[in-house]
Amino acid sequence: MLLFRSEEHLNRWLAGRAPGAVLSARQLSDLATAWWGDRLASDWKPHTREQNQRILEGLGLIDPFWNLGP
Amino acid sequence: MERADLELRNTTYRQFANLGRAPSANEVADALGVSLQAVQEGWERLHEAHALVLDHEAGELLMANPFSGRETNYIVYTGDRRWFANCAWDAFGIGAALGVDSVIETDCPDCADPIRLTVTDGVPDDGDSTFHVLVPAARWWDDIVHT
Repeated sequence: MLLFRSEEHLNRWLAGRAPGAVLSARQLSDLATAWWGDRLASDWKPHTREQNQRILEGLGLIDPFWNLGP
Repeated sequence: MERADLELRNTTYRQFANLGRAPSANEVADALGVSLQAVQEGWERLHEAHALVLDHEAGELLMANPFSGRETNYIVYTGDRRWFANCAWDAFGIGAALGVDSVIETDCPDCADPIRLTVTDGVPDDGDSTFHVLVPAARWWDDIVHT
């Protein structure tokens, strides 16, 4: 899970290989906030797979790439 | 997750945030008033539950996501504290978990030029930076170190 200066730099790094998933820094920040925001909460409980999938879906990440699996 | 393991997990994370680094198994044992063996066995269960990641050879924490127990190429500054993140996603997660603004520093994997982002109220100040995930979500835990 890497951060590049721009999409142009990512494409050069891929050198023709198929990309995985690509997000802007703003999308990544929104995802990180939803995913990690409760990690230090005193009442933290493990996220279920369904909870995590809903986080992804809520951010529009509905491509099969983002399917967390069984 | 059993209540004792949840308490162990939460104490481990709290100590990580308080110390600014990964706590040792001994430090967590002292904080909880339990034996070193109890912490090590509990950490193993938490590792299996994907609640943290152990360095089995060292017997210590490798990741308490989004925090990294080791120095990495993703450095996060919050106020006067410095953290290491496991990846770009986690780098944004440290400020989110702490509930504070952050500055993220890393190098572009393509050109090695430095990238520096300030995240204020969850909004990064660089509109060009681009995040790439290589491994599909269903396979992340096949090898969480390489995603």
